[in-house]
Amino acid sequence: MADAVENKKNIAEGVPTVTLTIDGRETTVPKGTTVLMAARGLGIHIPTFCWHPKLKPMGSCRMCYVEIEKMPKLQVSCALEAMDGMVVLTDSDLVKRGRRAIIEFILMNHPLDCPTCDKGGECDLQDQTFAHGVDDSRFDFQKYRFTEGTEGSTFDDLRIGPEIVLNRNRCILCYKCVRANKEAFGEYDLGAYERGNIMEIHRAPGRQVDNPFSGNLVEICPVGALTNTDWRYKIRVWLTQTTSSICPFSSSGVNTLLYKDDHQQKIFRTTSRPNDDIDDGWLADVTRYGYQIATSPDRLQTPLIKKDGQQVPATWKEALEIINKRLNEIKDKKGRVCIGGIVSPSLDNATLHSFSKLIRVTLGSNNIDYRTQYRMLPKEPENVYDAMSARSFKISDIDDSDVIVAFGSDLVKEHPNEYLRIRKACNFHSASVYSVNPYRVKSADVARREMIYKVGTEEVFLNGLCLAAIEAGMAEGGDLKEKISPSTAAEAAAICGVDAEHLKELAAAMANGRKVTFIAGELVSRSRERLCISSALANLTRLLGLENKGQVSILPHYANSFGAGKLGLLPQPPEGIRNALTELWGAWPEAEPLTTDGMLINMKKEEVNGCIALGCNPVMLYPDREFARESLEKLDFLLVADLYETETTGLADVVLPLASWAEYDGRYINLEGRVQRANRALKPRFESKPGYEIVEAIAEQIGDKLYESSDQCEQEISRLVESSNVQPLPDKYFDVRPAEEESDEEYPIALFVGDDPHHSGHLTEKANSLFNFCGEAYIEMSSELAKKLDLKEGDSARVESKVGKIIVPVRISTTINNDVVFIPRNFSSTTVTALLMRKKRTDRVKISKVVN
Amino acid sequence: MMLSEQSIARMKEVVTKYPSRKSAVLPALTIAYRQIGHLDDDIYNEISEAIEIPAVEVAEAATFYTMFPKQPRGKYLIQVCHNISCALLGADGLITYLEQKLGIVKGETTPDNLFTLISVECLGSCATAPMMQINNDYYENLTRESVDRILKELTEQAQAEDEA
Ligand code: SF4
Ligand code: FES
Ligand code: FES
Repeated sequence: MADAVENKKNIAEGVPTVTLTIDGRETTVPKGTTVLMAARGLGIHIPTFCWHPKLKPMGSCRMCYVEIEKMPKLQVSCALEAMDGMVVLTDSDLVKRGRRAIIEFILMNHPLDCPTCDKGGECDLQDQTFAHGVDDSRFDFQKYRFTEGTEGSTFDDLRIGPEIVLNRNRCILCYKCVRANKEAFGEYDLGAYERGNIMEIHRAPGRQVDNPFSGNLVEICPVGALTNTDWRYKIRVWLTQTTSSICPFSSSGVNTLLYKDDHQQKIFRTTSRPNDDIDDGWLADVTRYGYQIATSPDRLQTPLIKKDGQQVPATWKEALEIINKRLNEIKDKKGRVCIGGIVSPSLDNATLHSFSKLIRVTLGSNNIDYRTQYRMLPKEPENVYDAMSARSFKISDIDDSDVIVAFGSDLVKEHPNEYLRIRKACNFHSASVYSVNPYRVKSADVARREMIYKVGTEEVFLNGLCLAAIEAGMAEGGDLKEKISPSTAAEAAAICGVDAEHLKELAAAMANGRKVTFIAGELVSRSRERLCISSALANLTRLLGLENKGQVSILPHYANSFGAGKLGLLPQPPEGIRNALTELWGAWPEAEPLTTDGMLINMKKEEVNGCIALGCNPVMLYPDREFARESLEKLDFLLVADLYETETTGLADVVLPLASWAEYDGRYINLEGRVQRANRALKPRFESKPGYEIVEAIAEQIGDKLYESSDQCEQEISRLVESSNVQPLPDKYFDVRPAEEESDEEYPIALFVGDDPHHSGHLTEKANSLFNFCGEAYIEMSSELAKKLDLKEGDSARVESKVGKIIVPVRISTTINNDVVFIPRNFSSTTVTALLMRKKRTDRVKISKVVN
Repeated sequence: MMLSEQSIARMKEVVTKYPSRKSAVLPALTIAYRQIGHLDDDIYNEISEAIEIPAVEVAEAATFYTMFPKQPRGKYLIQVCHNISCALLGADGLITYLEQKLGIVKGETTPDNLFTLISVECLGSCATAPMMQINNDYYENLTRESVDRILKELTEQAQAEDEA
């Protein structure tokens, strides 16, 4: 009864309801609820195979049979809508007989090879056969066997993708994999073919199952028909322990479960830990397989110190002594603050905050920045940008938004889980999605309209939207029109190269929408002009009152970008945060604050002489590789802590082994501002240590104790996290005068750099599975452009900019336009940042064929 | 490219007749196999490009329908009915006779690519059993003699076409 009351409480006012009786208990549910869900609400379990909470019901397995009064036959509860007055039995004799028959049919051709099947112990079919089946079978003929394509391998296994193995004989044809792939992910690399006995699941003609969500197919398969290579034949599920964790690779904070073996100190796999507020139980492959960066044998084992130009292994004691000595030397020599600290925003709160305290309090420097991958950050605080990237935003509010705009974001690569949310909003609520980007992206497949603006015209486009709204009388512009240029929507459309009508259509959709979600991504935050673009976005938000009926955000990118902002790891944090920190620490350093960019410039001028880099790899990822390298080389002392030897550790005087997120308890703040925990699954590998321990040890060596008590760090953090709320937008419009875009005849093609869909940042190439999906850089271009350049898929292309040159293989893509190319930045064998120039807004290259 | 320009043009035209692109899959498959004689993975990919539907959806539909041939076939597809009425009137013997005569077994194609022999379920012509269908035509009340004659005629017809 308590459940029924619960059910009632959850029904929003005004929603039509129906009341039915299930196993003698009455329940009231919103109209449209299935019998299955109504029963679950009462805590009554009905067995299922093909039903999945996040997919439309299909009714293909018949396992969820129930008996309904006045209906002659058994009904499938997963696809049957609950009706007023229904009387449902879920456990009658008829139901039991029905289930038994279904199991018998499903087992007709099933190999019953549980002892060698990796699903054994967590298999729905195994469990339900025990619970509802019979011990014997009446089928005494030869079972049908799939053998085609499996020659030479045992157990009829067939590799259908880099990480997925299919065993068609075990498949019970629930279609969950194919449905999830098409419906939830919009991917078409897996299908269901033929019919009857010979019906089979298989990859699409001529393709591999290698989409960036493919790992989910394995997780949702109710039997051992789909398995993945990382887990197969390695361990039995009942021999593992689980630890709750979160994904360290993206800002969504996707919830995960790590399966590990304490004796072997090894993680064997990651699965979802469904959280409907965040991830709906879907994991991108980078989340699923990324744990391998923790378990790779290539991890840094001990501290390294430079002796006679060579890095040699050392003890922690030696390393810390050298760090102390060298930092003191720098201080004495210069007699002023000339140390900088850069840090990865993928690290946990305690590490970030302690680092901030080390730099600001112990070393007295204001040179601290977590934005090591962004170019030309302005010296001044970026108030509007900071405000626009820390709005109040809820992932689950995407679900029922009727208008969704994805602006300047290659969503699948940057925010895979938000892309899945948007798909869901389309599938279940027919949301209107607008994809607005400088090049065509995969996520536009759900868009009602895709708009491609000319490279580097983001703010013009946003101004155009404001103007279109004002011109059509959808909004009162006040003095906005005088503050922005151009002066008409038509002009803006012309500059951006988009259809003026489309601009109007989008403005109207946002003005008239009931609930609008506006997402801006990395193409905004990585732009040199991000301040200007965020001002334009703030204008639009205010003009259309978007925050009164929805949400707008420039989504932060890394696991703890949001936290890094809140904790003030910026040269000039917003005033509220600065005040809170000053109060906590009793002082604020006098020194001139420098951004990453400023630090690099001053390193080159030999005005910054020491640098501590925690978990970041600017030589690989700063958008001007040579500039970063030359600057860091000028340093008197460089200390780098990371999981692996990287191009940046290669320049260091001292290298410290950093523990991975799976090796300590850490807290992270996701893009919604939600604080979440990743628990320790393993001991820190080799001699590595968590970031906060490293930072505290350094401070102690220098003679400063960062914290008086063990919980002081936590207390300071909670003060900051609580104190800084969402900044209100000022009650005025900003001036937004777009700069003229530079063009260059010699380098005609715009280059975009970002993450490969299977990677994130500089560490994931160490994860074997992810490396198997993609192990080297490539250049993605349209088939037309390739034809023009006389290039084919797989050919080597020479890509040159004013400052650098790389050679990469060609990939033809159907979703990119003709004057644009994309190169991923995740591979140390070819660092694309060598082509980038920090002062440019748009990177431009020329491309030619390599003839051997 | 196996699809002719004509076929592609016809597919693109067919697409416009339906409210949803997906509905054009079956007509497109028909156009393809009429032109090529059979279907396979490469052809699914070509159709997919022509009607802008993922290749997997094309392949799923094609494999669901057993009447779309998935292997190359001879010029003439002989489908002999083996169902009850025909069987009672000697379909089995007829099939053996055809096998001997063509020098192949059921499911195969003659080396000159003229004839493919398969047996099928009831073709709805029980009153005129035993019977077979060759391409689009029915041949009924079969005897060994009539089979001899039919095969001879078809062989000659093919030769004439070749020469022309
Ligand atoms: S492979 Fe697994 S998920 Fe896919 S249809 Fe078969 S049993 Fe279902
Ligand atoms: S769970 Fe209802 S039919 Fe499969
Ligand atoms: S049984 Fe042969 S046509 Fe009907």
